[in-house]
Amino acid sequence: MRGNPFAAGWLCGAMLLAAAPMLAHHSFGAEFDGDKPVTISGVVTKVEWSNPHSHFFMDVTDAKGNTANWRLDGYPPVVLSRTGWHRDATLKPGDKVTVFGWRSRDGTNWAHGRQVTFPDGKKLYFGPPAGTGDGGAQPAVDVPK
Amino acid sequence: MRAFHLIFDSMLVAASLAAQASSPVPRASDGHPDLTGVWQPGSKIRGSWDEANAGNGLGGTGKDPNAPVALGSTARPASGVGAPYQPWAAKKVLESYKNRGIDDPTAQCLPAGIPRLVSFGLFPVQIVQTPQQVVILYEYMNVFRVVPLNAKHPDDMEPTYLGDSVAHWEGDTLVVDVTSFNDKTWLVGTGTFHSDQLHVTERYTRVDKDQVNYEAIMEDPKVFTKPWVYHSTMMLREGTRIREYACAEQNEEPARYEKLLKDGVKFQRQ
Repeated sequence: MRGNPFAAGWLCGAMLLAAAPMLAHHSFGAEFDGDKPVTISGVVTKVEWSNPHSHFFMDVTDAKGNTANWRLDGYPPVVLSRTGWHRDATLKPGDKVTVFGWRSRDGTNWAHGRQVTFPDGKKLYFGPPAGTGDGGAQPAVDVPK
Repeated sequence: MRAFHLIFDSMLVAASLAAQASSPVPRASDGHPDLTGVWQPGSKIRGSWDEANAGNGLGGTGKDPNAPVALGSTARPASGVGAPYQPWAAKKVLESYKNRGIDDPTAQCLPAGIPRLVSFGLFPVQIVQTPQQVVILYEYMNVFRVVPLNAKHPDDMEPTYLGDSVAHWEGDTLVVDVTSFNDKTWLVGTGTFHSDQLHVTERYTRVDKDQVNYEAIMEDPKVFTKPWVYHSTMMLREGTRIREYACAEQNEEPARYEKLLKDGVKFQRQ
């Protein structure tokens, strides 16, 4: 569990609410690493509402003053529209935001964006939690012993 | 008098609570339950879309942004019992699980299967019922089913992703018989493949105004040892509309998965 601060909560949630809604599209598990949470702050450079996943880019400057452009992936427009987002209004180039998410497995400046915190403190989910599209906590069949 | 008021008041309160908890099943002009409406599959929470999904955010508990409120579309169904695959087929299911579902047909924007389409709540489903047919519109992948009532399957069926559906009423339950599937969808859960011999019997029972209980019995002699039964629920979401979801617009997934494999990035489960 060390180095994986969310795994316990993830499993509890899955077990407690096993009969509750199931969500989302494919792709989290193969592309992003649930063991690599990341929180970054920066200035938005581009926002793309697109299917099957929306994404935005932001310039992130590290402690040494080096700036890198990061890509954050999340929900498609239909889901963003139902979860408090408005195209061209909620998130725009030039906005300063903080994003919590999980890094891509390929080690590039790319992450799955889970939660965006805006300058006024408002928080919105941009994408589903780690584990979505990961195949679930256990396989659909029982593993032979 | 005071006692009367107490009793009367408590009756009012009870009636009010009952109304909130379960309003009567709306009925069509032919007397059958009317399934018409926009529904959120997989949920058991009453109320509007916002009421049922707000606060937590879809997929999160709110208390812990890392914790999903529910299983993903690729997760194992809720029963906790393993799907009754034949041993060779179970190995194939496990292989997809270990590969984190990169072979998921929906990663290519192909239609999700039945009952998978009725398993996850990120995308609403609209049902339009007439005395002659039931039309089901799925926002996810923007697919639809036209289900004639009291009809026979046509004799010129082609294998398809969602199969061919006909329905009839058994009391207050709509029973849908689905056949003529291709073998290109997942049933529910990662890697849950099937053959073209799949036969699904769905049962939709509107138990009150807000809730439809859903059951799917999956039979496939080529891959199962016995029928696999799956249960879910659908909750009414008044004020919600289904929208366009053009999955293929900018689908980068297949290329990304190929690149992961080509670059030797370790993403598989051990």
